Amino acid sequence: MIPVNIITGFLGSGKTTLLKEILQKSEFNDTAVIVNEFGEVGLDHIILEEVEEGVLLLESGCICCTIRSDIQETIRSLQVKAAAGTIPSFKRLIIETTGLADPAPIVSTIAAEPIIRNHFRIGNIICTLDGIAGTTTLNTHEEGTKQLAVADRILITKTDLVTLGKIKSLEKQAQGINPLAQIGHSNGTNFDVSLLFEEDINDPSKRVQEIERWFDSDRLADLKDHHHAHAQQHGLGLKSFVIAFDEPIDWTVFGIWLTSLLHAYGEKILRVKGLLNVEESSTPVVLHGVQHIVHAPMHLERWPSEDRRSQIIFITKGISEDAIRTSLTTFLSLAKRMSGPEIPAVKD
Amino acid sequence: MCGLCGLLGITHWTETSAHSAAFTGDSRKTLRAERLHRTNLVNAILHPKRVRISDFQATSYLLSSPTGKTIVVEDIQAVWGAYETLTGHNLDPLDPEYLKILDQASK
Repeated sequence: MIPVNIITGFLGSGKTTLLKEILQKSEFNDTAVIVNEFGEVGLDHIILEEVEEGVLLLESGCICCTIRSDIQETIRSLQVKAAAGTIPSFKRLIIETTGLADPAPIVSTIAAEPIIRNHFRIGNIICTLDGIAGTTTLNTHEEGTKQLAVADRILITKTDLVTLGKIKSLEKQAQGINPLAQIGHSNGTNFDVSLLFEEDINDPSKRVQEIERWFDSDRLADLKDHHHAHAQQHGLGLKSFVIAFDEPIDWTVFGIWLTSLLHAYGEKILRVKGLLNVEESSTPVVLHGVQHIVHAPMHLERWPSEDRRSQIIFITKGISEDAIRTSLTTFLSLAKRMSGPEIPAVKD
Repeated sequence: MCGLCGLLGITHWTETSAHSAAFTGDSRKTLRAERLHRTNLVNAILHPKRVRISDFQATSYLLSSPTGKTIVVEDIQAVWGAYETLTGHNLDPLDPEYLKILDQASK
């Protein structure tokens, strides 16, 4: 499966600089890149064309639901060309979004399209955050905040141009919006490529490490201590919280609940990540999703710590922790009452 | 389901039988047992709404309204859209009134 990394981030936050830097590294030689530049003149295309043969410029502007077929067609076309030998075969695909684009439809295209999903998998979503203008972006632009909320990695850029205090403050703000993402720094040329692109949840050798990052006790304690009951209210209504269950949970009813929740509120559930202790498995099950899309559950060899509780972290837009907890608890209780030697028939 | 759909069909993330690598040990249910369990649970959840679901040949689900109108769906994800089509209403799993009814009905 070829990993697909999405590079997102608000206008001028350093996406193209990041792309240019990584494409010069030898480990990214076998990388195809899809650029979607907002506006008619694709300056990025000119810059990147010199670096990578596989650069393609999409005809239309912003990546969103209405043109995600462009992404679909472009990926398929890359596949066909690579198979035919027209372009070199590639081992990684990077999609750079526009500064105003929502990355979720791209995830949806790759995860749901029947042909693409059998050849490609979603890797880390990387969001660049402007070290100088990041605070203003997060306070005033919903697009920028959402890009940050769905990311797996956040790269604070232009760190050589701002004070350490400002970086720390921006880090705290970013972590408040997305406590799940790892944060890296860049001064334009210096950043941890491995953390950004190579270490992801799909790599079985890195999975435990990644899960440990999700449920880092200091980070969760931070959520609890500073934001009251694991929740934080931002100007745009984003909240992040953890819900934990002591007893093993019924995976079937959990699936029923989450699919119904995402059907009704998918656009408001920006991210969900969890490590579950389920009745149907003797080992922990890893769950992660972006809006309507939930990826296939993954196996974890061992529990990262002594804690055997199911823990699910949500990043939501306007949905409270209480509402989610009450609903899930009701569904799980229903399943519990129905389990046993005889499953009671539903009365007509 | 036509052969082509079956060939290109997507395995849903909720199905343990399709993700044997993720679900280990003896407690994993067989395909039929899992589908029966899911059907029973969805029936309990939709009971207050007077909509029923049944398994069809372990390949699809049939969702039926009180008047007998029926829609065939592939997986659990599709149930909720079909529910809207059948009833004209959205099923809101966060609705406190609905959750209260669900809680009472199962006691």
